[in-house]
Amino acid sequence: MDKVLETPLTADDINGLKIGDVVYLKGIICTSRDMAHLTIKDKLEKSEALPVDFHGAAVFHAGPVVTKNDAGWELRVIGPTSSIRMEPYAEMVGKLGVKAIIGKGGMRESSLRAFQKYGQVYLQAAPGCAALLADGIEAIQEVHWFDLGMPEALWVLKAKKFGPLVVAMDSRGNSMYEDIRTKAVKMIDTLYRSA
Amino acid sequence: MIMESKDLYSDIYDLVVKCCRDISPDVKRIIENAIEKESSPTARSMMQAMLDDVKLAQEKDKPLCQSPGFPAVYITFGDKVRPGNIKELFAKALVTATKNGYMRPSMVHPLTRKNPGDNSGERVPNFEFDYIPEQEFLDIILSFKGCGAELGNAMKVFTTAQLGKDYSGLKRFVLETVTKAGGVPCPPIALGIGIGGQMDVACRLSRRAVSTRRWDDTNPDCLYASLESELLQAINRLGIGPAGTGGDTTALAVKIEGSATHTAIAPVAINFHCWTARRAGIRIYPDGKREEIL
Repeated sequence: MDKVLETPLTADDINGLKIGDVVYLKGIICTSRDMAHLTIKDKLEKSEALPVDFHGAAVFHAGPVVTKNDAGWELRVIGPTSSIRMEPYAEMVGKLGVKAIIGKGGMRESSLRAFQKYGQVYLQAAPGCAALLADGIEAIQEVHWFDLGMPEALWVLKAKKFGPLVVAMDSRGNSMYEDIRTKAVKMIDTLYRSA
Repeated sequence: MIMESKDLYSDIYDLVVKCCRDISPDVKRIIENAIEKESSPTARSMMQAMLDDVKLAQEKDKPLCQSPGFPAVYITFGDKVRPGNIKELFAKALVTATKNGYMRPSMVHPLTRKNPGDNSGERVPNFEFDYIPEQEFLDIILSFKGCGAELGNAMKVFTTAQLGKDYSGLKRFVLETVTKAGGVPCPPIALGIGIGGQMDVACRLSRRAVSTRRWDDTNPDCLYASLESELLQAINRLGIGPAGTGGDTTALAVKIEGSATHTAIAPVAINFHCWTARRAGIRIYPDGKREEIL
């Protein structure tokens, strides 16, 4: 049986996850990339309201391909973007109440600290698999800040079974990417000794 | 003969759509072989998801990745067939394919980040022209290279001493760059390495190497061929794996292009390509006959 988590995500949902687990998401997923993060930061600084409630939210580092027809927005495809670009916003995103971050390539120390502090996880999606991942999305519910451009807008998606997603960073300070990096660095020395 | 736009436009539009929907057949075969050899089950399922994604994109007539990456066009022509107004035709094809849902509008102003919304923009796509007077045909190669991959790129102007014994300095630079990039460039990756010239030449060659060659070919230069094979094996011992979540398959190919350089320097540029090898090419003869290349 595939493990399916439903949004809004709870502390129990997150604590129950460990590195290497494969999960799917059901419910609401919000996209945010560089410009949406920057816009959130600006709004918070000016004490302006945000268009969505991020408590228990799943934020997807992604910009979709969408088309518009008479019935509204239609999702063509969506896949993860490189999460490392959103690293400067780790603390802000944690404070907002976001529980799961979905992306590719992983994040670094500031995020790991925030994940422990706020009880969050990082979920790695299959990179470049945008047609496959779009199959798990039922509909586009709303869009905010479309003036930022199609990739950078904040899209609110309704997922039926979105994934597969690998738990790659947990809320206890573990990161699959860090472990892999440490081993790789040792391997470089084994292969070619430093001059 | 100068190519007329009415004759060329549909060829170009087809190349664009093909690149959005499919990956090169040589790369599909390399991934299939890698799945058989891969020891990590997570890595196997990641790569299977990638092949399933390509299949689904074909079936549903959708782009296989949300990001079109950055398009580059490589043109080789001679006196017999000239490319005509090919720049305008490509720009138009990109805008049309974007409107038709094959590409996300991803081209923005480099500073203001303003997005015109249709993948139009200054110097889009990027063109490289090669003029070989006696060549009888016109070759057009289109390559979309993802820009998550671009975040891992590195360039260094080495000295002779820094190259090291058996080029160990260069080899460490490659492995350190791949390790630093980790899962960001959408592994399994291919690496283009440009060596020589000056900074700009090495960078240009690194993109050309990974974008215009089949990933299963062998470099005609023996030294580069042996370096390509050694580096590919070494990278695949790093354990980064598909998606960066571990495994034996970190790289699918390493491609090197070289140029003579100045005796004081050894420029080396490393250019990442994600697993989605979106490249397609066409050869056009003076009698109008067309042939797929690559």
